Amino acid sequence: MNCQFKPKDRIGTINPIFTCQPAGAQYASIGIKDCIGIVHGGQGCVMFVRLLISQHLKESFEIASSSVHEDGAVFGALDRVEEAVDVLLMRYPHVKVVPIITTCSTEVIGDDVDGVVTKLQEELLDVKYPDREVHLIPIHCPSFVGSMVTGYDVAVRDFVKHFSKKDKPSLKINLITGWVNPGDVKELKHLLAEMQVEANVLFEIESFDSPLMPDKSAVSHGSTTIAELTATADAQGTIALNRYEGGQAATWLQTRWDVPAVIGPTPIGIRNTDTFLRNVNDMTGKPIPESLVKERGVALDAITDLAHMFLADKKVAIYGNPDLVLGLAEYCLDLGMKPVLLLLGDENAGYEKDPRIAAIKENVDYPMEIITNADLFELEDRIKNGLELDLILGHSKGRFVAIDYNIPMLRVGFPTYDRAGLYRYPVVGYAGATWLAEQMANTLFNDMEVKKNREWILNVW
Amino acid sequence: MPYHEFDCSKCLPERKKHAVTKGTGDNLATALPLGYLNTIPGSISERGCAYCGAKHVIGTPMKDVIHMSHGPVGCTYDTWQTKRYISDNNNFQLKYTFATDVREKHIVFGAEGLLKQNIIEAFKACPDIKRMTIYQTCATALIGDDINAVAAEVMEEMPDVDIFTCNSPGFGGPSQSGGHHKINIAWINDKVGNVEPEITSDYVINYVGEYNIQGDQEVMLDYFTRMGIQVLSTFTGNGTYDGLRAMHRAHLNVLECARSAEYICNELRVRYGIPRLDIDGFGFEPLSQSLRKIGMFFGIEDRAEKIIAEETARWKPELDWYKERLKGKKVCLWPGGSKLWHWAHAIEEEMGVKVVSVYTKFGHQGDMEKGIARCGEDALAIDDPNELEGLEALEKLQPDIIFTGKRPGEVAKKVRVPYLNAHAYHNGPYKGFEGWVRFARDIYNGIYSPMHQLSGLDISKDEIPTDRGFVTQRMLSDAKLPEEIAKSESLRRYTGKDDIIADLRKKNPPYFTPIVKAEAAE
Repeated sequence: MNCQFKPKDRIGTINPIFTCQPAGAQYASIGIKDCIGIVHGGQGCVMFVRLLISQHLKESFEIASSSVHEDGAVFGALDRVEEAVDVLLMRYPHVKVVPIITTCSTEVIGDDVDGVVTKLQEELLDVKYPDREVHLIPIHCPSFVGSMVTGYDVAVRDFVKHFSKKDKPSLKINLITGWVNPGDVKELKHLLAEMQVEANVLFEIESFDSPLMPDKSAVSHGSTTIAELTATADAQGTIALNRYEGGQAATWLQTRWDVPAVIGPTPIGIRNTDTFLRNVNDMTGKPIPESLVKERGVALDAITDLAHMFLADKKVAIYGNPDLVLGLAEYCLDLGMKPVLLLLGDENAGYEKDPRIAAIKENVDYPMEIITNADLFELEDRIKNGLELDLILGHSKGRFVAIDYNIPMLRVGFPTYDRAGLYRYPVVGYAGATWLAEQMANTLFNDMEVKKNREWILNVW
Repeated sequence: MPYHEFDCSKCLPERKKHAVTKGTGDNLATALPLGYLNTIPGSISERGCAYCGAKHVIGTPMKDVIHMSHGPVGCTYDTWQTKRYISDNNNFQLKYTFATDVREKHIVFGAEGLLKQNIIEAFKACPDIKRMTIYQTCATALIGDDINAVAAEVMEEMPDVDIFTCNSPGFGGPSQSGGHHKINIAWINDKVGNVEPEITSDYVINYVGEYNIQGDQEVMLDYFTRMGIQVLSTFTGNGTYDGLRAMHRAHLNVLECARSAEYICNELRVRYGIPRLDIDGFGFEPLSQSLRKIGMFFGIEDRAEKIIAEETARWKPELDWYKERLKGKKVCLWPGGSKLWHWAHAIEEEMGVKVVSVYTKFGHQGDMEKGIARCGEDALAIDDPNELEGLEALEKLQPDIIFTGKRPGEVAKKVRVPYLNAHAYHNGPYKGFEGWVRFARDIYNGIYSPMHQLSGLDISKDEIPTDRGFVTQRMLSDAKLPEEIAKSESLRRYTGKDDIIADLRKKNPPYFTPIVKAEAAE
């Protein structure tokens, strides 16, 4: 077999690809309307994640901390949660949803967050806020388990578990997008609108890209409502686009409420978008309309100008969130490119059984590596030792590898703080396929000019 | 006390004593908020943790060191690539970060073995680096890992390496400030005095509390070198590990950020008798005074005066060009700790702006004392502000610009207040004479951005001027200026280069010959 699939050899992490679980839960929490999460731990676990999200989206999002100090670490810090909930509710009268996200410190000291939620319901909510709808939702995110990807997955599941309730059957579907950008959600909603399918979108984050208004009124926040979360139990079916970011929620809805689940594929590239639309068609009976046939044609028209002329045979390394990496790798293969190195930043038992990885292992006819538990030093070390790359696809934390080794890089994933506005553009759907192909090509073109590598080719195109 | 009660915090009575408005005749005895107390949970404070105070703020600017965090990857990832503390060794400290990657099994069975493997592995991965700092995190502190013992064991086995350990888990104290203190004390306890430096000048200093944000340290180092002063070490921006082990041989500690690094200066005074001189690299007058003070200490005032005269002549006309156009502009000075007092007075005096509010996230009461003393009347001073209080203050004060962090800057953007990054700067460095002009230029460009003016228009109801396709910053800033100033020949806009650090680095090496020796040779 040409493709090696293995964990990295080193035990430690040099330049991590992911941060830890609480960050994923925090990113999920800001997608819900009237929701401010409380992260139960040291203040850095919130302060830096808020900074990270604001670096990526160039917006600020509200997330609170229980501000555990030394006394809490020694004697237990549940009193800090109790105070945090009350302070938050007093000062933010619109807040209805308060996930309480644990961290490594509060999991190690064994704070009973589930117990304190019961206590707060009886002693605080029923007494002080009897007329207010408030949901306290414990979300366990010990940082020493999983990664930010599993933290996101766990949080989506726990939100769905908390809210979903059968009422009457609905024609809507549940669309669980996974960890994506506002531009992706916009494109996915567009595709569903063309299909005339209504969806509970988890999460509606198009509004993350918020305006600067003359009356100063705009706030960046997601807009998935409690009603939508509740109605997930009544949906015709669930499509979770990402196996590792929302897959658990889809499975849970199927098990608990008999809502049929389709997990994957991540609709990156033409082929995976086709499959996504077929899945929607199967689930709802709604036909794929002529308008999407045309959109697909426009995308293919653009991609055909690039694929075999400029992109074919180009060697690519891809790192980031697993569904994104695998989706990109599949699309690169469809473009005639050669993904030679895929780096997945955590160890997930599911990777062994992932059909996409199995198919890649089965079919690539050139040397390729898929490294799990990987870090960015895996990439750098291979380049130092002779790995030839034409392109890197990954997030901003790997920028110095591209800079120091003069390898063109297209920023994709989370976070992409060192390029302007990328969160606005989709990588999913037909629009995403076009965007990716064109951006990859432009990145290569720019590099040809900077390095004076056959830069004259583009004299005529 | 003229406490200021925020409407949004009326339900939190204890917050009332954390903000004051400085009235007529008030001084720090009559107007001083409480400071550095425990954070109120759920208030959406802006504070960080003691781990980041130690690792991210003070530890990592050391440039020739493997910075390894013993814990899950998150602490390391989150405190990586969010700062602009550069170095002249290709930014190793910005590019590489190390985590021992503690997992559940280690939490149960201990992670000391994991740490040891990590240390050996990291030195192997970076064969040119022989120094390491290990930072404790919440998780490994709580399970009781003895990082000192592991470090000692490795040093025994690998005689060419040296390892420093910093026990400052995130929960240690109300803010990042606890971490500043811990790493200061740990460094002097464990490392100072271990290396004997080569002394090449009669005038030897440590430059302390300086983090080389966008090259600040290199600008100041240039002045010190031109005065013939040998800088043994910088704590810690662009500093070397071994240089900092030799701190005990300096004649003087020149202290910049007292909030984060006065502890080590005080200990160096107690243990080695080295005096502490607080200086200020921001602002023409404070910087001139600082260079004079250092000159006076060593009896080389003339060298200081020469630099001050040269630099002032070169850059003052440019600073004043901006000052004329920034007069009366309202500023919220909302940094982390010490800049509230480094900047409050200097920007009012030298740029003509009015500081309408100061705040500090992690400063102590001493910082507020200095801040209150240095800001003008009616300024609103806030300790450990939170999201809603910040917004309420912006609404009340209507500043023209705010100096704060990246994320709070995004909050300000939404209420149409442009921001400058007080921690990392926009187009720094801001220290030094030229740097101060660059700061003024960034403020000017922020306040007079034509885009900023456009964002206030509501096209559905406001009068829309249709007679122009653009306006320039000058059209906005000079509209009400007297003609003799607007057209003054003696004032000019900034004329420096984009990157002023590259040229400074080229001055090396002949430039570093101490003046004292050169004179002796003559």
